[in-house]
Amino acid sequence: MLDLLLQTGLNALYSASYISLVAVGLVLIFGVMGIVNFAHGELFMAGAYVVVALYSGFKLPYLLVAAIGLIFVGCLGLLMERTMFRPLRTNPLGGLVASIGFLMILQALASMTFGVRMAFVPPVTQEVIEFSERVRLPVQRLYVILAAFGFLTLLWLFLTKTRFGWALRASAQDPEAAALQGISINQTAKIAMFIGAALAGIAGVLTAPLISVNPHMGHSVIIAAFIVAIVGGVGSLEGAVVASVAYAFVHTFVTTFFDGVIADITGLSLMLIVLIIKPTGLFGTADRA
Amino acid sequence: MLLEMKGAAVDYGRVSAVRDISINVEEGSVVTIIGGNGAGKTTTLRAMSGLARLSRGEITFDGKRIDNLPADKVVGLGMAHVPEGRRIFPDLTVEENLRTGAFLRRDKVAVAADLDKIYAKFPRLKERRSQWAKTMSGGEQQMLAIGRALMSDPRILLMDEPSMGLAPVIVEEIAVIIEELSAQGMTVVLVEQNAELALELADYAYVLETGNLALEGPAKELHDNEHVRAAYLGI
Repeated sequence: MLDLLLQTGLNALYSASYISLVAVGLVLIFGVMGIVNFAHGELFMAGAYVVVALYSGFKLPYLLVAAIGLIFVGCLGLLMERTMFRPLRTNPLGGLVASIGFLMILQALASMTFGVRMAFVPPVTQEVIEFSERVRLPVQRLYVILAAFGFLTLLWLFLTKTRFGWALRASAQDPEAAALQGISINQTAKIAMFIGAALAGIAGVLTAPLISVNPHMGHSVIIAAFIVAIVGGVGSLEGAVVASVAYAFVHTFVTTFFDGVIADITGLSLMLIVLIIKPTGLFGTADRA
Repeated sequence: MLLEMKGAAVDYGRVSAVRDISINVEEGSVVTIIGGNGAGKTTTLRAMSGLARLSRGEITFDGKRIDNLPADKVVGLGMAHVPEGRRIFPDLTVEENLRTGAFLRRDKVAVAADLDKIYAKFPRLKERRSQWAKTMSGGEQQMLAIGRALMSDPRILLMDEPSMGLAPVIVEEIAVIIEELSAQGMTVVLVEQNAELALELADYAYVLETGNLALEGPAKELHDNEHVRAAYLGI
């Protein structure tokens, strides 16, 4: 029984890692631009397909593919900012609708290029760390956990220790007052879109060898990310991380001991309960909700 | 003239906020714009710093047209704006707020020196440097807003209602700060509902009424003007 709990805990930690990468990007983009990016799950998908194309296809080294995936998906974010969100700056609902359109475009492009069936990604490593006979951690999952920890730490350092980090937070809190300090919203929007998209992309790159890669894979992760962003308190990055961990643990344990459908129901019910007790989410403040 | 506004008008949609406003600010002087609620004082200041667009007229700063520049460019020319309601960044620390004011400056040594100067001027900000800005009192937040503006190393300081919502003791402190800045040669444009305070601090004054310039003159003269006394000084 202890083995099962430990194993499920490891599985949960792995889910928490990639969900938090996706959710933090979603929250960052919403914080700075006020736009709910519905295409965020498809940025995750795009990252996974970079692996399909370059690692499965062209057999490039995985680390190089990861770097390319990060930059490529980050640039997709820049493209979205320039072509959709900037012209729709004063129209958040328009931005949301445009992001749904972009979601469909990315799905269609993936289907046309790679087909709708699950794409094959050869394992990057077959190694498994065995803590005991029934507690095992595949090394690829360890990569996901370590990378999430590393990238979130880097993001935190960027936001709290650099002048562009302060600018990004200032812009999220009061764009007009930020403009009075010389901080251009176009600049901070670009940074937020690049980082947010790149984080979703790297999550897709890292999980591609572990999950089913198909054009609709963004769907389940975006729902988890939305729940986590809302529970954590929209606009709160630390809330998104804490809620990712909480959500992943609840979801994984319920899936293991009951089944996946009940786990989805439990996740959504917990979101409802949090919203009833604290409508701004766990870490949210009233003025941002 | 350091700052010159000529025949300026600002519209919000179909509603005209201010019309035909001409204001001159000489280098080193303190100019105040007084008037009642909704007279257009804040709009005038917002137009100067690039937050509001002119529909007519022009603004020149140090001989250069600035009315088509966005606010994030105007500040780089040396104009700092302390906005109405202070608008500090609540979830940044005091020091992060101040450093954000120096966002466009690349000279780290000079920025560090200015930070020390501001901490010397406002010791309470130094005590609370690593505290969230939102946890400070109204008066401290106003000092932070002024400090943040000074961190851009401006040639002119626009201040919108710095006395708003503050206890009389704190208002007195703010007045002393403005006097000190002026004595050090800073050019100040002060928008105030507290006309008594504003006329005491300023060299020259403009009176706005429902979007129009009603009156202008040396602050001392306006202080003795019958209309101003009746309408704004309650005497």
